[in-house]
Amino acid sequence: MAVVLQVNHLNKSYRDKSILKDISFQLEDSSVIALIGVNGAGKTTLINTILELIPKDSGKVNFSINNWRQITGVMMQDNLILNRIKVREIINLTRSYFATPLPYNTLLNLSGLNESANTFINQLSSGQKRRLSFVLALAGNPEILFLDEPTVGMDTIARQDFWKSIAKLKQSGKTIFVTSHYLEELENIADQILILEDKTLTFNGSLKQLRETSGKVLIEFDSQLSIKTFNELASIISLEQINHHFQIITNDVKKTISELSPFLQGIENLKIDQSSLNSIILNYQEKK
Amino acid sequence: MTNYLYQLKINFKRIILRNKAFFLFDMLLPIVFYLLYTKILPSGVSQQQLQTWNKDYLISMMIYGCLLGSIITTANTLLNDQTSNFKVFISLKPISKFQYYSSLIAIFVTLNLIASITISITGILINEITLPISSIIKIILTNTIGTIPLILIGIMISFAKRPELVNLLTNLIVFPLAIISGLWWPIEMMPKWLQAFGKLLPTYQLSTIDKTFLNHTDLNWFAFINILIWFGIFSLLLLLINKLQGHFGVTK
Repeated sequence: MAVVLQVNHLNKSYRDKSILKDISFQLEDSSVIALIGVNGAGKTTLINTILELIPKDSGKVNFSINNWRQITGVMMQDNLILNRIKVREIINLTRSYFATPLPYNTLLNLSGLNESANTFINQLSSGQKRRLSFVLALAGNPEILFLDEPTVGMDTIARQDFWKSIAKLKQSGKTIFVTSHYLEELENIADQILILEDKTLTFNGSLKQLRETSGKVLIEFDSQLSIKTFNELASIISLEQINHHFQIITNDVKKTISELSPFLQGIENLKIDQSSLNSIILNYQEKK
Repeated sequence: MTNYLYQLKINFKRIILRNKAFFLFDMLLPIVFYLLYTKILPSGVSQQQLQTWNKDYLISMMIYGCLLGSIITTANTLLNDQTSNFKVFISLKPISKFQYYSSLIAIFVTLNLIASITISITGILINEITLPISSIIKIILTNTIGTIPLILIGIMISFAKRPELVNLLTNLIVFPLAIISGLWWPIEMMPKWLQAFGKLLPTYQLSTIDKTFLNHTDLNWFAFINILIWFGIFSLLLLLINKLQGHFGVTK
């Protein structure tokens, strides 16, 4: 795999307040990289700094080619709300900036805005504006896509379609750098996870590595038994009860199941959740 | 080239064709002023004096229309590009700042051209002004090219980024500039010291050049050089501000 972007010791501060501290990572081609962090962690600042929208204090950002704008497509968090330009016009205008753009009809079909081609951009719904932003990012047929909270404002079907498109783009060799609050959307597609926490990258690796680092597993079930029954299990870290629904967190799933086995007849809907990215991140942050 | 022409076409549509503010302020406002000051207010003057006044005031209102277009429309268009995220959008595309601004300046010049033509046609039709076609063409072209320094002011104001500050700056520059350089009332009505200042302004010098075409006299080189100097000063200021802007980035 070839490296398409290398970020080394990137620092950014604003009015003496540090926002990004010593950030280093690299992106490889044909992969999806998810950048995760709570609100205000600096995800958008990191993207803006990489894309030279705001100047960095120190560090290096190297794309595989000097004229990186020719090979990147960007879907910013804020939609384009330009008035007096129609959907059809903005797609063609964006195509006009690139040497080898994607065909207009391909982009229009991908946006799903065929019936709104002659609508002014500011008259689109927020979901439609998001879809338009996505195809505008694709207009130049980029090698690297930066997507900042891409599915915010999209309905469920549009979100599903969007992630299907991302999977296809990944298959076609594109590198996709994405931030999202919807962690469940990222876990099926991300090859590499970056966790931005307290101004710095606290994790950089695969989902599998993150699971191993986190180590904790969530076990859920329904039971009429008393909470005292489960409180006595030696292997559990925490136990919560909501009506007849129980949630156990353990770092030794085999031992916990074995301790639960005498009560299995009184347990229903047992679920062992070790794959939820959401719970892994929470566990990871708790562990830290 | 085809791509650049397409960019010009879209800019023409969004800045001129679909922009009601352009028709209302850059064209209608000078026309209303012109009619007010030539049809309603003048009284007790001879027919010959009225003819001269009508011609002089036509030039003033053509320049005033270009002044409004160059500063207010330019600043507001660029501010809108900022607030609608278009400036960020453009800065992520493989085109230079020069390409972006040059395509906009070409449209602002076109906008001034259209305003000048419309205002001059109004004067010719309503006040029956008789001028050789070559003089009218020279005046219109001088106004559209001579107001490029004012477009640079409009671009600089847009760097203020905040709508309320942009509005304040445009009003603080446009209306005093129009009054002091004698576009609304004859400059001779002002105090001497203010006249001396007003005569240095590019809008006054532009009307001086226009009047040489009107009166078939030789080109006023002092006025021509004055406008060139203003162009040089504003270009340098623009480059300086643009450089400073680079330190802060293009995001809102």
